[in-house]
Amino acid sequence: MSDIRLVNLTKSYGEGNAVSDVNLQIGEGEFFSLLGPSGCGKSTTLRMIAGFIRPTSGQILVGRDDITALPPEKRDIGIVFQNYAIFPHMNVAENIAFGLKLRKLPKAEIARRVTESLKQVGLAGYDERYQRQLSGGEQQRVALARVLVTEPRILLLDEPLSALDKGLREEMKFWIKDLQKKLRITTIYVTHDQDEALTMSDRIGVMSKSRVVQVGTPQEIYERPKTLFVTSFIGHSNVLDVRVLRAEEGSALVSLAGQELRTRNGGGLSPGAAAKLVVRPENILMGSALGPTDARLEASVISEIYQGALVRYRLKVGDQEIVAERQNQAHVERFPPGAEVTIGWDPEWSEALVA
Amino acid sequence: MRDEAAVSPLMKAIAILALVVLLLPVAIVVLAGLNAGEYLTFPPQGLSLRWVWAFLSSPTFMGAYLYSFVLALVTTLISTALGTLASIYLSRSRGRAAAALRGFFMLPIVLPGVVLGLALYVFYVSTDIGLARSFPGLLIGHVLVTFPFVVATVTASMVGFDLSLEEAARSLGASPWTAFRKITLRLIAPGISAGSIFAFIISFGQFETTLFLTVPNHEPLPMAMYISLRYKFEPTAAAAGIFAIALVALSTVVSARLVSLRRVFRA
Repeated sequence: MSDIRLVNLTKSYGEGNAVSDVNLQIGEGEFFSLLGPSGCGKSTTLRMIAGFIRPTSGQILVGRDDITALPPEKRDIGIVFQNYAIFPHMNVAENIAFGLKLRKLPKAEIARRVTESLKQVGLAGYDERYQRQLSGGEQQRVALARVLVTEPRILLLDEPLSALDKGLREEMKFWIKDLQKKLRITTIYVTHDQDEALTMSDRIGVMSKSRVVQVGTPQEIYERPKTLFVTSFIGHSNVLDVRVLRAEEGSALVSLAGQELRTRNGGGLSPGAAAKLVVRPENILMGSALGPTDARLEASVISEIYQGALVRYRLKVGDQEIVAERQNQAHVERFPPGAEVTIGWDPEWSEALVA
Repeated sequence: MRDEAAVSPLMKAIAILALVVLLLPVAIVVLAGLNAGEYLTFPPQGLSLRWVWAFLSSPTFMGAYLYSFVLALVTTLISTALGTLASIYLSRSRGRAAAALRGFFMLPIVLPGVVLGLALYVFYVSTDIGLARSFPGLLIGHVLVTFPFVVATVTASMVGFDLSLEEAARSLGASPWTAFRKITLRLIAPGISAGSIFAFIISFGQFETTLFLTVPNHEPLPMAMYISLRYKFEPTAAAAGIFAIALVALSTVVSARLVSLRRVFRA
């Protein structure tokens, strides 16, 4: 087990860059997710770490070793592919023994470790089965066992849940996380699914257009998105057009449809300029729920959408639409369409970003 | 997967008819080879093993048979090796060069064998590189003719081959060669075997290209049969045909046993 560092990692194909200047430090035992839409460069980054793609420039360091120029077989990095890549001509035991045989371990030792690792992934007794006799979830466990049995320094997971159906995906999410915690193996997890990234990761690196745009804990990423891309990619947000009135360190005063609001300052704002105000639907308070220090706006209700545990409001402020979500709890105030209502939010839970 | 039930009786009848038409000449040759009479006639004038013995005791025919066998064997080895390498390259590279090469490799199938044989002969003679009417020269011709069949079958078996299998092997500690040997080669083996059967059969029966390239006094079997029929209309040639058919059938059965042919054609 080791920490891993990516230094100015870049991969260019012809004109464009698939990965530009990625700098990351991932600690020993950390579960780190690379999150982004398809084509953002997350898989290319992972394949460079695995050694399947040679970086155009930059370095990959594992512990104190520079592995940038090493072939995959010399890196001691395990990878689980999206389609699991179980060798179809070998049974489960042979699949798992593959890496051990290459390491020339004694036969008895191999047999012992294969049995042990099958037990670890909950597939004891599956030795003789072939890939075609395994379900998706079982194939994934075999793929993990095959990698983990060789005790790699780093574990790479390339969208490992995307081929599973929804119920199994939920189950595997927690199972993988638990296994990773137990083994304390440094893990890099590539996904386009924000739920997976938020629930499983210690930290997340959000990628967009070949760059890492924000690195942080799931909470930081969700609550303090630094760019409009992160805001819109993770969860739902209201993105509103505002004008900056005053910009200070950490906070700002903006105007929205003639009404003044205090908000956090995402950085780079200048007075008089247009900006985007970002606030999540669940953070919008309405009517008597508002506190004395909250930013306030006068709005009118366009429609109320009842969703059981949630009630969703479409609201209008000036010519802009805002979506608010309220937990449907006892004594919660309801607002009929057409009603005029004061809405608002804690200024700490909204962010003004450069438009 | 299986929809045999969907085959209509009409289609079955057509298929059986086609099979009969294809197999009839084979049956005729076999019967003609078992002829008791002096000349190659059909229907045979009584059955006997007379011409079979004549074939087995004829140095010309037996020599030709062995010569063809060795030629086909060497051709198969070379064609299979080259064809497999070419297929791997073709299936893993994109772009114009690969597309152009694919077409180029298939040319010998499109070209009439006579044209290919003549072209090679003229080339050998005009360059005077010692290949005209020599075993290596003939071998080159046979490799050229059989190579496209290996490329076609092996390429077909590479379609849908998941490269991440090889990558998984690499990251588990396998060198490129080990990963290729233990994963890729094992998985495309049925395709390679099918390709090599084709190569063997085609080389063994090759005539038109061979015509221009044979070594004097070392005729392969098809040539020997042709020559014998031109000068005396003896059933020995038909008896030789029986042995040729037997060998081809045997090689197919043996290979099909080694690897399931079904897997190749399902892929």
